[in-house]
Amino acid sequence: MCFKNLPIDIDDQGRMTLRNEATFGVDNAPMNGGPKPLTDAKVEELLAKNGYIQNVDFDPVTRVAGALAFHAVADLEQRKVLTTNSMATLFRGYEVIMLGRDPRDAIFITSRACGVCGGVHSVTAAMAIEMALGISPPPLGVIVRNLLLAMEFLYDHPLHLFLLAGPDYSQLIVEQTTPSVWAKAQRAKTAGEEVHGYATVAEIMTDLNPLSGGLYVEALHMTRVAREAYVVLGGKYPHPQTIVTGGVSTTLTLQSFNEYYQRLQRLFDYSKKMVAIWDDITGFFYEADPRYKEVGSRAKNLVECGIWDDPDAYDAKYENCDTWGERRWSTPGVVMDGELITTQLSAINSGLEEFVEHSYYEGWEGKRFETDLSGNPISPYHPWNKETKPKPSGQNWKERYSWSCSPRWDRQTVEAGSYARLWVTAAAQKLRPNPFMESTGESLRFLMPKVHLPEMELEWKIPDTWNAFERNRARAYNMVHNCAAAMNDWLKGLDLLRDGETEVATPFEIPTRGTRRGVGFWGAGRGWLTHHLELDGGEVANYQIVTPSTINASPRDPWGHLGAYEEAVLNTPILEEFDKPEDYKGVDILRTIRSFDPCMPCTTHIYADDHVISREVNTCACGVDED
Amino acid sequence: MRLRRGRGLIRVRAPRTLIAGVGYFNLSDLSLGPHIVPELRKQSWPAHVEVDDLSYGPVAVAHRFLEADPPYQRLVVVAAVDRGLSPPKLRCYRWNRVLPEPEEIQARVAEAVTGVVDLDNLLVVVCQFGALPEEVLVVEVQPLLLGPGLALSPTVRALLPEITARLRDIVATSPHELDWVPSALGGLQAQELAR
Repeated sequence: MCFKNLPIDIDDQGRMTLRNEATFGVDNAPMNGGPKPLTDAKVEELLAKNGYIQNVDFDPVTRVAGALAFHAVADLEQRKVLTTNSMATLFRGYEVIMLGRDPRDAIFITSRACGVCGGVHSVTAAMAIEMALGISPPPLGVIVRNLLLAMEFLYDHPLHLFLLAGPDYSQLIVEQTTPSVWAKAQRAKTAGEEVHGYATVAEIMTDLNPLSGGLYVEALHMTRVAREAYVVLGGKYPHPQTIVTGGVSTTLTLQSFNEYYQRLQRLFDYSKKMVAIWDDITGFFYEADPRYKEVGSRAKNLVECGIWDDPDAYDAKYENCDTWGERRWSTPGVVMDGELITTQLSAINSGLEEFVEHSYYEGWEGKRFETDLSGNPISPYHPWNKETKPKPSGQNWKERYSWSCSPRWDRQTVEAGSYARLWVTAAAQKLRPNPFMESTGESLRFLMPKVHLPEMELEWKIPDTWNAFERNRARAYNMVHNCAAAMNDWLKGLDLLRDGETEVATPFEIPTRGTRRGVGFWGAGRGWLTHHLELDGGEVANYQIVTPSTINASPRDPWGHLGAYEEAVLNTPILEEFDKPEDYKGVDILRTIRSFDPCMPCTTHIYADDHVISREVNTCACGVDED
Repeated sequence: MRLRRGRGLIRVRAPRTLIAGVGYFNLSDLSLGPHIVPELRKQSWPAHVEVDDLSYGPVAVAHRFLEADPPYQRLVVVAAVDRGLSPPKLRCYRWNRVLPEPEEIQARVAEAVTGVVDLDNLLVVVCQFGALPEEVLVVEVQPLLLGPGLALSPTVRALLPEITARLRDIVATSPHELDWVPSALGGLQAQELAR
C-alpha cells in the first residue's frame, strides 16, 4: 500500500484510482507519528512559573541561506524542547510574477528564486514547459543539463558543509559550548588521517573555524572550481542564459568537455576528503555522547524526485515519467518510516498536497483538475489546483506564522534533502550498469578514480538513526554521488560527440490555444524541486514551485502536525554545557536546523511596508514561501 | 601619467584600475551601480582603466581580483547605498580597510555565498580574503527612489555627469595625490566629500 491517508489505490501496474468515491476532504485526521508539542496554554503556564523554561528565539537563524526565524520554548533544567515554530519571514511570490507570461520567461525569472542554485530552477522550468508542449531535448542536451547540475551541487555541498553548517562543529563553537567534548576531541584519533591528513578530531575542528580555518578557506576555493566547470559548459552561473526549452543553447566542443573534466577530477579527491572528514566528525560525536544521535532526529520520512536523466529514456512525457524517472542516476522515491514505498514519479506527484492553514495565504476554492495527465487522481490541494493568494497578517502561533506553506506527502510530514537521493537510490536498486556506483539495497557503493589520492571504494550505508549528523555525513557522500554521476554523463557525452549527435536543443512553438499542463521533476542542492505549470492560450495560467526548504521549513498542517524543522528541534536534547540559563547558546537547536541546509525565500528585493530591504534579504530562494 | 621629479619628467606606470558598479538591477536609484556601467563603457578611458559590473557574489569577486595578472592596484566602486542621509548626497571616500568583528565578517561571508549583492558586503568579504587592490575608492550616492523600478530618479540621473567627472579626476590622479578623498570611518561609514 503506497498511500495510507489519501484515498488512492494503486494496482500492480502502478495505475491509481480514487477509492470508493472518496473525497480529499481534510475532516479526517491522517495518521502521523510525529512528536507532539505542549499546548500553547500549557507552555504559557510553565513559562510563567518556572525560571528554567524559556523562550528561545533565533531571528534570524544565521548561517543559513535566507530569511528563517525559529521560535522554541525550552526547559533548560530538564534539557528538552517543549514547543517549536519555524517561520519563513519573507514572501517571494514568483508564482504571482509568472501569471500571464510567456512560459519561456519561467526559465529566466524563476532562476532568480535562488542565488545559490539558480540553474536548477531554470532546468525545472524548462522541463515543465517541455512536458506541456510535448517536446523533448536531444540526448546531448540532456547530458549537458546533467553535467551542469552535478557542478551546481559540487559547489553547493562544500559551501554548506564548511561555510554554513561546518562552523557548528568548529573548535571555536565546540570549546565554548561543550568543553568536555572539546577535551575528548583533543584526544580522539581520526580514522581518515591518510585521506584528510588530520591526526585528531580537534585538528579537524580547528580547521573548521570560520574565516581562518583551512577547511573553511579551502571550501571557498573549491566552490570556485565547480563554478568554473559549470561556466565552461553553461556560460554563466548563477542564472544561466543557456538553459532553454527543448535543451540547452550552449556550443559544445571536445575542448569544453575536457575543460570540464579538468575541474571534475579536482573534485574527486576533494570528495574523498570530505567523506573522511564527516565520517570522523559523526563517529566522534556519537562516541563522545551517544545522545548526539538524538540531535535533529525525526521520522525517516523522505521524498525525492530524482535527478540526472538517462538521455536514452527521458522524453518529457508525463505518461512515461515512471519509466524515465527510474532510470535517473538518482532514483525518485518516497521513504516512510525508513521503508521505500514507491519509486513512481506519478505516485510521488499524486501524493503531494500543499496547505496554508498556518501560513500567510488565503485558501482557494474549486478544483480545476481531478486527475494528473495520466488520469491518476490528484487532490484539490495539489499544486496543479493550488492558487497563490498572499494575505499578510500578524504572527500567531495558533493561527498563522509563516510565509511557507505546508507541503505534505500522503498527508504526512516528510523531509527533502540531498540525502534522500542517497537513501532512495540505495534502497531502490534501480541504477543502470555503470563503472562508478552500485545500489545494494542497503547502501550505495562508489568507485572514485585515482587522482592524487588513490582510487577508493566508498560506501554510504542507510543509517540506523536519522539525525543532524547523518544529514551532514550524507551530504559529504552526495559529493561522491555527484562525481560518479558526472563521470558517467561525461563519458556518455563524449560518445555522443564522437558519434556526431551534437544537437543540443529541439525547436518548438508555443501554442496559442488550449489548456496544457506540465511539471518539472528535478532537484535543488537541498533536495526535491518541482515546478507545476498550467498554460492557457499560450500564457501561464498557474505556476507553482515546491522547493525543499518549503517542505522542510513548513509550519503546522491543518491537523496540527509539525513541519520537519519543528519536529527535529522538538526531538533534540539540549546537550550544551552551561551553568546559568543566560549562558545558553542553543547550539544543539542550531545544529539541527542547519543540518537541513535551509535555503529560504529570497528575492533580491522585498517590500516591507514602505521601504525596500535589499541587503538583509537573500537571493537564495530554494526556499520557502512559494506561493 | 607623468610625475615631475627633479628637473626632468619621468614616465611611470599608471596603476591598473577597475571602475566597477555594484548593486541589484531594477531597484530604481539603488541600481545606480549596474546602471552606470554601460554608460561608462561607452566612453573612452585611459588604457590602464577598465570598467566592469561587480554585481555578483563577493567571493567570486575576490577570486577575480586574486587571479588578475597584473593585479589591479586601484578599485573605484560606484554604488547607491541607503545610509539615511538626505538624498541625493554624492560622497566619495577612500575605504580604509577596517573590518568588523569576525562574527560580523562571517555573517557577511554567509550572505555572500548565498547570493547577496551589496557594496559593504563586497568590500568586507574581498578585504577579508586579502584580495582588494591596494587602493579602494568609493563613489556613493544616497538614493532618492528605493522601490522597484527600471529607471533612476531624475535627481540621481542628474548626478551622472558629476559622478563621471569624479571618476575621471580619480583615474587621472596618482594615488598619493588623491588627498582630497577622505577615508571612511569604521570601514563602512561614508564621510562627506571634503572637497
